[in-house]
Amino acid sequence: MGRLQIAPQALVCKNTIIEGDVQIGNGTVVHVGASILAKNGPIIIGSNNIISERATIINNHAHPLTIGDDNLIETDSRVEGRGMGHRNTVQVRGIIAGTSTLGNNCVVGAACTTDLAENVPDNTVLFGCPQARRMRADGNSDHLFMHKKHLEYIHEMLPRYNHIIEAE
Amino acid sequence: MSSASNTLISVLYHCPCNGATQSPGGLDTGVRVNSEGEEAVVPNASSNSELEAQLKLPLQPNSELLVLRASAIENLYYCDDCSELRCSRCVIEEPAGYHCPNCLFDVPTASVRSEKNCCARNCFQCPVCTHMLSVVETDTETRPFSFACSVCYWDSREIGWEFEKATGISPQIEAIKASDQQAKEYTSLLEYWRTVYRISATSAPTSTLGGHSVGGALKSRFGLSSGLAGNSASTAVIPPYQAAGYMDTDHTRVSQRMNIENVDTVPPLSADLTSIEPQRIRLHMKLARRCRSCHHILIKPESKAQATRFKIQLMAANFLPTITLPNRLSPKTPVLLPEMPLRVGKTVPLVLRFANPLYSEMRVTVAACAPEQDSHVEVVAQQFVLAPFTELWEYDEDEDEDSDGSSSGERSAGRQRGIVDRQGNRVAIQLNLTPKAVIDNLTVPLFVTCTHQDDMDMDTDAPASAPAGGDSSRRTVTNKFWVYISLGPTVQ
Repeated sequence: MGRLQIAPQALVCKNTIIEGDVQIGNGTVVHVGASILAKNGPIIIGSNNIISERATIINNHAHPLTIGDDNLIETDSRVEGRGMGHRNTVQVRGIIAGTSTLGNNCVVGAACTTDLAENVPDNTVLFGCPQARRMRADGNSDHLFMHKKHLEYIHEMLPRYNHIIEAE
Repeated sequence: MSSASNTLISVLYHCPCNGATQSPGGLDTGVRVNSEGEEAVVPNASSNSELEAQLKLPLQPNSELLVLRASAIENLYYCDDCSELRCSRCVIEEPAGYHCPNCLFDVPTASVRSEKNCCARNCFQCPVCTHMLSVVETDTETRPFSFACSVCYWDSREIGWEFEKATGISPQIEAIKASDQQAKEYTSLLEYWRTVYRISATSAPTSTLGGHSVGGALKSRFGLSSGLAGNSASTAVIPPYQAAGYMDTDHTRVSQRMNIENVDTVPPLSADLTSIEPQRIRLHMKLARRCRSCHHILIKPESKAQATRFKIQLMAANFLPTITLPNRLSPKTPVLLPEMPLRVGKTVPLVLRFANPLYSEMRVTVAACAPEQDSHVEVVAQQFVLAPFTELWEYDEDEDEDSDGSSSGERSAGRQRGIVDRQGNRVAIQLNLTPKAVIDNLTVPLFVTCTHQDDMDMDTDAPASAPAGGDSSRRTVTNKFWVYISLGPTVQ
């Protein structure tokens, strides 16, 4: 049975498609048109994530799909598999396919896709066409700062223009 | 799927140039007429069949050369001096300005050569993905700025490039490179040998002595023998070289390298790409195009980098009729394109639409080639007149009249057989096409002749305002060209 648990500070728009057993953590923003489909197993989303328009998070397996904190899932992307860690970015039309997972601090570039069943190690960057990958150096502080600013801005502006699901 | 096969349908215009040589074969001329009268050069109906019989295809429809010689009208130019079609193979390209694609700075031509075609400012390319680097700031205390790539997330800290200021990166890079031990050693070595050469050249101006003193200095560098073994006094003057900081102590390897006679193998490229330094970004050129025969400028872009307009823009679409295969004539009329793929033996009506870009009337003659093995085309309307192009607000009036459904006398009376539709400056004609063989890409060649009166006053001697009763000299311009219409595959 569908059970949607939204943490008090989360911001989930009404025009989203959320099915099944879904937990959304504190501060997370789910934009209009996003789909979170817990078809067979539950989906657990951490705190301070940004899930953009037309993003699809879908769990076709029985095991839970876990998304950590501070992730950015951009427009029209697709997340399957077992989920991801913290501070990742899935760029526009990026795909995490099959049963793959993402570690921490990774970047799936625009229109890039992981393999069907791999655990992408931390700090990996998938980019380019033809697709290549490399490891990035640490030092993500600038990006985290921007992410926080982005979140604050959304929390301020989104409720003015969209209907939000009231958390119980 | 009809949408997939639509991508195969195209109308290509053939340019009869030879590419490398001067002017194309004389297919068309502009007939200059004196002020006595106007002469229209239009083949009338009886000579059209003769025309058809004389027509010789420049290129067979299935020739591979068609890709080179024929292109869509968007890619073609027109020289109004020669009154001829020009393609990209028969124009001369020349640079009209250089700019950096990153910072959009217009580089003066003199600097282009000195900077080796690269941007002299802070524009660098990522060594991993060749994307443009941007300067980012982090909150480390010393040297907070560095280059970062937004695509592959490469940072210049990985090779040790960190900067104190965000601007003026070039001198900071020089400073970093200069502090490199090996680079310092190299420059001091260079200075040393330069002084050696200078001294030896001035003291004894014969070439053999130069060799002697070099040998002497070499020996003293390695301490193998005393520098005074040579018989020239110059070697005593030069002190032996002192290493500036970097000394390679592996003597065997050095002497091996110095005595290399054959080089049989080349070491492989290192796979570690991130140690390569960022390259400067190459400049882009803006090109101007000239007619190959008369050197008239056809395309001239504005030299400012940000401007996308053109000062001079002589395109074929502004002088020759644009021929298309419309899907439907207007949103309410039925679909005109025949069902794809075409079937052998089945005659389908093919509708071609001609649009007149000029401000004067144009007479068009369409002729199909003699029947060949691939298809048979019957051109119903062989000759017709295209109205001139007028401003848009006049069109609205025309459409209101037509949509009323009233039989405006002109329209129904002057209705020519084979003309499907006439709207403003456009005419849609019907061809009956019968494919005859199963081939991959059915191409139908048509020979189009268009004539119009050019109203420009060519004579500068003639008075600007035409005197009453006299005619300003007009020019009749005729353009003849082959059009190849691709229609996709045919099936049984």
